[in-house]
Amino acid sequence: MSNFRKTIISNAEKQFLIKNLRESTRLDGRAFNTIRDLKIEFGKDWGCCNVSLGKTKVLAQVTCDLQEPKSNRPSEGTLNINLELNPMADPSFEAGRQSDLSAQLNRLLEKCLKDSKAIDLESLCIQMKKRVWSLRIDLNVLNHDGNILDCASIAALAALSHFRRPDVTSDGVEFKIHSIEERDPIPIVVYHYPVYITYAIFSGGDFLVVDPTLLEEGVAEAFLSIGLNSYDELCGLHLGGKAQLSTNVILEITNKATKHACGIINLIKKGVELDTKKKLSAKETGFHKGNLKETNDSLSKLSISLDHWTTTKTSKKKKKSLKLNTVEEINNDCRMECDDINQPNHEVIRDLGVQTTELVHKGTKGEWIIIDSDSEEGANPNSSQNDIIFVETSKVETIKVQGSDSEEENVIIVCESNQEKNVSKSPKKKKAT
Amino acid sequence: MASSEFPQLKCELGVLSKSDGSAALAEGESVMLASVCGPIEVKLQKLLTDKTSVECCYRSKAAEGIQDRFRETILKNICETALMASLHPRSSILVNLQEMQNGGQLLSCAVNAACLACLNAGVDMKFTFAAVSCFLNKFEEFSFVPPINENEVKALFVLVFNSTTGSIIASHTEGSFTTEQFQHGLKLCREQSQFVFKFFKESVINFDKDIE
Repeated sequence: MSNFRKTIISNAEKQFLIKNLRESTRLDGRAFNTIRDLKIEFGKDWGCCNVSLGKTKVLAQVTCDLQEPKSNRPSEGTLNINLELNPMADPSFEAGRQSDLSAQLNRLLEKCLKDSKAIDLESLCIQMKKRVWSLRIDLNVLNHDGNILDCASIAALAALSHFRRPDVTSDGVEFKIHSIEERDPIPIVVYHYPVYITYAIFSGGDFLVVDPTLLEEGVAEAFLSIGLNSYDELCGLHLGGKAQLSTNVILEITNKATKHACGIINLIKKGVELDTKKKLSAKETGFHKGNLKETNDSLSKLSISLDHWTTTKTSKKKKKSLKLNTVEEINNDCRMECDDINQPNHEVIRDLGVQTTELVHKGTKGEWIIIDSDSEEGANPNSSQNDIIFVETSKVETIKVQGSDSEEENVIIVCESNQEKNVSKSPKKKKAT
Repeated sequence: MASSEFPQLKCELGVLSKSDGSAALAEGESVMLASVCGPIEVKLQKLLTDKTSVECCYRSKAAEGIQDRFRETILKNICETALMASLHPRSSILVNLQEMQNGGQLLSCAVNAACLACLNAGVDMKFTFAAVSCFLNKFEEFSFVPPINENEVKALFVLVFNSTTGSIIASHTEGSFTTEQFQHGLKLCREQSQFVFKFFKESVINFDKDIE
């Protein structure tokens, strides 16, 4: 049953990958010491975020409730981490069943966040031996393209530092939880920010590759996961598989990993700060505000177009425009066509760029009555106006614009920028070692 | 008589790489992510000799509950009727749904996301389906947008329509209401479902345009 619905990696693929590694290249063109693009989006609720590391995606949500403390730790709140591998991430995962992989991932995350005392659990105590806050982090893996651990640890940390618990008061007997409208919610105290950086080890330690993809994970002999915080302190170390690594190599790798960890932690902090500011200034935030658009690089666009390669005249035209690589032009074409089609219609469907559309209702029906007409009407025009402005910016934008601090942006897309520098350096280093 | 708008629809197709088809759909403030895999290998205990077994998995953001299993059953029933199950015996089609954000109309958002994901995956379907949520508040007024205060909801209708005949294929109601109110809600939802179908069509056409 273990091979149920599993994608099998052929020997040819394995050999090709190893051969490439010997020539200091990776299949996705990254250098050995470069991590994939990291993107953190925050949802409408406190403590909800969606992290994508390349194509690997994890959704995290922190929830809390009042519970009795454990008898051996009467003045500490509790923290539970619950990572689920759903068939959505990979059809070989079974829903609601604990596998070896999920047990290992859960334990490693616990080690990193709980055992390294990253969260101040004592501040979660309300009354000793009576009531403490119990935090629970739910991590749902949405897409599995290798390195779930790093992605999940980033998601868990971002969600925790974004989360705010409701205020609570007690009259000695009963505890009253104040809703968010009543009293401002309180953030969790995070002492330090630990994240995992995973390396895949090939050919008995000859090649070490950071942030492996699914294919690389399948071929690798062993994995080294290093948990680090921004103070360069080790918060977790796990070596799985079979490989002989000398102490020097592990120390060297740890030093390299600290740079990645610092970059990631800064991104998390910046992202949380930005979104918190927006939420506190009562701006509407959430996934629905995002343009629901993935940043598609031209390469993947080309590979898609190659799949649909035909020799008819119309497709030749399209290919030409692809060669020019002016994505905006294509988008403009599509948009103009769309607008022409839709103008006489009741509603307008906007093309927000690649693979994305949006339905904007123009017409209003007289039959229906709205409740709370004052407040609704006050709120609606604003929000729709915001939307339109937002759409306009996304028309012209490239990925760079998304990274800027523009006011109309409602989803924070944080792109890794400093990784390009490492590209040229690392292969040479590799040869030296 | 004030006007009421249908919640804004936004979608993105092909968001996930591991599934055959996927769609992220925002209906107002509700956001759902759906993925479809199939037809693929089936577990022995779920094997059907005459048709595909449709497996549905609904995940909410936080701790799961009975509500999730309930929604799973509704979605499974809808997908079983809409998909051409008899084409692929001894196989299974996986329909996975993940709640991303709860804005009040999760169920209809889930059904619509599932339909878009099926279209994106290219599995054979007899017809497409669209769900519309309609709220009846305590002043006996109908609206497609969930009221800000949850206590104001007197009844909720979630009706799912067949694209070819326009008939209902699933109906889910909460709260108390009269037969006339249901009939009126049904009429409103049916009108509205046409716009949803149109949105599906445009989304799929735009997606095809992009990959050409």
